[in-house]
Amino acid sequence: MINQPIVSVSGLRKTYGGKNEKQYEALKGIDFNVEQGEFVGIMGASGSGKTTLLNMLATLDQPTSGKVMINSQDVTTLKGDKIADFRANEIGFIFQDFNLLETLTAEENIALPLSLQGVKKSAINQAVTAVAETLSIQDLLKKYPTELSGGQKQRVAAARGIVHKPALLLGDEPTGALDSNSARELLELLTDINQKQNVSVLLVTHDPFSASFCNRILFIKDGVIGQEIRRNGVSRTEFYQDILEKLGTFEQ
Amino acid sequence: MLSRLALSNIKNRLRDYIVLLTGLVMSSAIFYMFANLATNESFIKSNTTFRFAVPVFYFGEVLLVIITLVYVMYANSFLLNMRLHDYGLFMMLGAKKRRVGTLMVFETLVVGAIATAIGLLLGIGLTGGLSKLLFSHLGIALHHFNPFYFKAVLTTIVLYLVLFIIAAIFNLQSLIRTPVLKLLKQNDTVNKIKAHGIGLYFAGIFGVILIGIGYYALAQIATFQLTSIPIALVTIVLGSYLIFHSSMILIIERLKKSNWARRKLNNFTLSQIMFRVQDYTKILTITSLLFALALGAITVGSAFNRQIDSLAKSNSSYTIAINNPTAKEQGLIEQLSDRTVVKYDQKFSGNHVIYNEDQFAQHPYKIVETTQSKSGTMNTYKNVPVSVSKLKKEVSSQFDFVSLGGSVLDTAPKFYATNDFNKINAKKGSVSLITVKSIAENRTVLEKLNHLQLKAYPTMDETGIGAGTFPAFLMISGIYGGLEFIGYFLGIAFLAMLASCLMFKILSGTQQDRIRYNLLTKVGTRRSLLNQSINREIFVLFALPGILGIIDVLFGLQMFKSFFNNNPYQNIQYPIIIFVVLYLLYYFLTTWLYKLIVLPKKK
Ligand SMILES: Nc1ncnc2c1ncn2[C@@H]1O[C@H](COP(=O)(O)OP(=O)(O)O)[C@@H](O)[C@H]1O
Ligand SMILES: [Mg+2]
Repeated sequence: MINQPIVSVSGLRKTYGGKNEKQYEALKGIDFNVEQGEFVGIMGASGSGKTTLLNMLATLDQPTSGKVMINSQDVTTLKGDKIADFRANEIGFIFQDFNLLETLTAEENIALPLSLQGVKKSAINQAVTAVAETLSIQDLLKKYPTELSGGQKQRVAAARGIVHKPALLLGDEPTGALDSNSARELLELLTDINQKQNVSVLLVTHDPFSASFCNRILFIKDGVIGQEIRRNGVSRTEFYQDILEKLGTFEQ
Repeated sequence: MLSRLALSNIKNRLRDYIVLLTGLVMSSAIFYMFANLATNESFIKSNTTFRFAVPVFYFGEVLLVIITLVYVMYANSFLLNMRLHDYGLFMMLGAKKRRVGTLMVFETLVVGAIATAIGLLLGIGLTGGLSKLLFSHLGIALHHFNPFYFKAVLTTIVLYLVLFIIAAIFNLQSLIRTPVLKLLKQNDTVNKIKAHGIGLYFAGIFGVILIGIGYYALAQIATFQLTSIPIALVTIVLGSYLIFHSSMILIIERLKKSNWARRKLNNFTLSQIMFRVQDYTKILTITSLLFALALGAITVGSAFNRQIDSLAKSNSSYTIAINNPTAKEQGLIEQLSDRTVVKYDQKFSGNHVIYNEDQFAQHPYKIVETTQSKSGTMNTYKNVPVSVSKLKKEVSSQFDFVSLGGSVLDTAPKFYATNDFNKINAKKGSVSLITVKSIAENRTVLEKLNHLQLKAYPTMDETGIGAGTFPAFLMISGIYGGLEFIGYFLGIAFLAMLASCLMFKILSGTQQDRIRYNLLTKVGTRRSLLNQSINREIFVLFALPGILGIIDVLFGLQMFKSFFNNNPYQNIQYPIIIFVVLYLLYYFLTTWLYKLIVLPKKK
């Protein structure tokens, strides 16, 4: 069990468009694994199929063919309540925007996944306080999303993404709407979460700076994974240079 | 180019447009229904009993125009919410504000025109259907009433044209004033709740006091006379507003602190309601008042119906008297259910009617005895058999006995024993006194009998009313049936209007809600939970004004105490049940539409 990958994708295809519509193959056979505790980035230009891929992993959409195993469970066969429960238990999300419910305070937003699982109130409070402490957002808890800056919102969203200790944290360009300082903070936070909480993270981005925080990067182009680079212990700035280089050759 | 964009937008958001149109169509249909009654002068004038209801109509008309205005505004904000983002986008792409403004005015007016046109057709259909239903239920026929009435059509068109022009101007204003960026970012604006603990308590208490004053004023209408109505209106409106505002926030804040709030989506539901109630206090207040008005109209209307029976009963001890029944009439009599028939022989000598008193000893004639309740105004009527001697003494004051002679009205009829009666050489005849348990059940047969009798013995016609409870029933239901009709008609129209109003207000928030429910789905909320949350939220929004409205009516009926024999609450459950059922239908319709818009498509 211990060596089982947390994510295992094989032969994943996705074709958009119904019977009488124009067909568009966004994913043309994708294979890759994410090991336990890894911080993996998926990079690609806009329109290369990143979001499509992430949606398949998150069970937000159904693949046309292929298999997605998460935590040894084939998620493509899940239906109805099973899908909902799977998301609630195994996965945490951070999206680019529309992350928080504006009618709930930060604290209530963070508590939501636990409430959905039916955790007791005292346990919820404990978990929320703990996660708020790790992410240093204690003073934001009583505020409503409209009172928070973009960076603060994403921190709260990250807290909600990990409060229920999911097997996998997914991010779809979570820094997309942030200024560079907030972006760096959030990425450091994700690194922290990955290392200290031992949560596997899969980050989708088109931005080399964001990608430089990962351990391993998969490059996706026109619906297939073309290349892969590993950080191999080099510093983040060096890795950043590597990525830029790779991008130069890859995008050509 | 822009108009092509606008058209393609309609195609993309067909669901929203259907909801928008449905609501507006309902509104204009209902308005037409009402206008049909209110603008039809020859109808109102020809039905004498309606004349004193004319102020009611004017009042109703003003009220309905106000509601319609509110309604169109809500519908409009729904439209605007739906479009603002696109308008912002057009402008970002370089379209001039003026150009986008024109497009928006055009869109608003087109939506208005389509809705009004369909609404008018539906309104004509509804008026026809509802009036037919009510006429047959109430057993009345009203003259000059026609489902299609040109003046009403015109009134509806003019009103909606004006309203939509106002709405378009209003839209234009908010388009011009809002910066483009804000148009694009409409979605993240949610007002924070400004709850001040103590202030809320005070507001609540003050509200209760105000409502108390209002209800007291209504209950004591005998002392305050007409002044109590404006007093009650102001205090009750203000009072309900304050109560809604404070109690909801206080209750929800309390609930949010409980363990229950942390279970599943409860907290989310509570927050939704909280934000809604803030935003909804005004509409909820209006709704509760309208609810009260509508329910009141129906209750008073149906109370008239009860009056009909008891008033008719005060008139006579038997249902109908048939002079010299023909074979045809005999056949009809046999069709009556639960009947008792007493036949008395008669002889006619000049202007006098002679009876066989032995027949009366055998089957005593019954007279109506009226007993007053202790409090004074409540009358009960009982039929008691009387002895021949008493009958002889009192006969001249018994109108229903006097008219037993058919065409011959004799205030001093004679009574002879069998032998003497048989010896009299005069024109022979007979009268059969028929009593049935339920007039309503036998109505058609009784009507035929009554008609035949009136034709054969025309004098009765001149007096305007024949003998027996049935002719009295016919006359009184002619008077009260009209009032009842108005009561039901207005009540249902008001209810439909207010429920549509509430429905729209709820649906106008769907643009933001859609994002929320989408997010909830993404983080793994079961669909059943989403459904439950929506059902509860909308239920609270419907139940609040409904409950307050019912309480309003219960107190409001105090006004009619003296009119309805001191007991305005008799049978009140029926109108309330009818009402609650209709209201529930609206609730289901709203939740259905809401889910259709808000919930992501099932996978
Ligand atoms: N729902 C959809 N229907 C049709 N085509 C889609 C849909 N979603 C995405 N696509 C297409 O699939 C391709 C990949 O999209 P996406 O995964 O969103 O790219 P990325 O996130 O990498 O920018 C794009 O060409 C896009 O136009
Ligand atoms: Mg994307």
